[in-house]
Amino acid sequence: MIDPDPLIIAGRSFGSRLITGTGKYASFEQMAAAVAAARSELVTVAVRRVDFDDRDGDITTFLPEGILLLPNTSGAETADDAVRIARLARAGGLPTWIKLEVIPDSRNLLPDPVGTLRAAELLVEDGFTVLPYMFPDPVLAKRLEEVGCATIMPLAAPIGSGRGLKLREAILIIIEEATVPVVVDAGLGAPSEAAEAMELGADAVLVNTAIARAADPVAMARAFRHGVEAGRQAFLAGLMETRVTAEASSPATGLVTQA
Amino acid sequence: MSGCTVNRRDHDLEVGETVARLLERLGIAGPYALVERNGEPVERARYAETVLAPGDRIIVARPVAGG
Repeated sequence: MIDPDPLIIAGRSFGSRLITGTGKYASFEQMAAAVAAARSELVTVAVRRVDFDDRDGDITTFLPEGILLLPNTSGAETADDAVRIARLARAGGLPTWIKLEVIPDSRNLLPDPVGTLRAAELLVEDGFTVLPYMFPDPVLAKRLEEVGCATIMPLAAPIGSGRGLKLREAILIIIEEATVPVVVDAGLGAPSEAAEAMELGADAVLVNTAIARAADPVAMARAFRHGVEAGRQAFLAGLMETRVTAEASSPATGLVTQA
Repeated sequence: MSGCTVNRRDHDLEVGETVARLLERLGIAGPYALVERNGEPVERARYAETVLAPGDRIIVARPVAGG
């Protein structure tokens, strides 16, 4: 069946608008089950040195078939760090897609806009498909688009905070202005918030902690999938215009109690 | 000096040890073993032909769980 409403990033089509992270799960098995329940087709991984004293399995062998791995540059504090991580990942055979994160601040985990833009420029020039994580500054979003990023990924709230769509107004401006897909990334805590982002017109959301740290991550993954689908359908259906005063849904005439 | 470092740990090199042989000796299988040699990434297609030299600083990385 042809998907009538695919998410298209850099010419590649995805049937799911829920991108998931693989961090913070109790086990790779649980992560894989959650990814499957979410029906994600784009899944993030980090890149780290192998610890020879404490080795677990290879995460990539646990993931369902047909998923595109999206390596991130987590741990990068500068543009140069991010470029180094991306090049290492690509040389070793990971996709040329990269979730760009340049984060010098470990307390709030807010991305460095200058470093992110610089790294994005270098990586696009080097042939990468760049998906930059960014603070929702509409001007920065434009700049990232101009240097050739494949998406814009504004944060809803600080990473792992689960506080929801706190930066809604700025994200709305980005959505209105963007000519590449907008992925709301980080801070969503509940499926209703994912739905809210999609209702605003986001093209996709990226969720990790809210699923991984739920009491039942697999069930929560499913709930997020439904939230994203509901929000997308609502956006396409066109939300009603809001008004300040009431407007009766039932007829105002022919009242039984009329004198 | 007959050794290099791998993830900052000393590693005694065999004569003619390649990146592919290094990964084998370290027991790192899987589709994505990522290797950096003296700050430069090594292309996967060259693992079998890239011979390590004494004094090399090697980093071996791989994908892990992350967001």
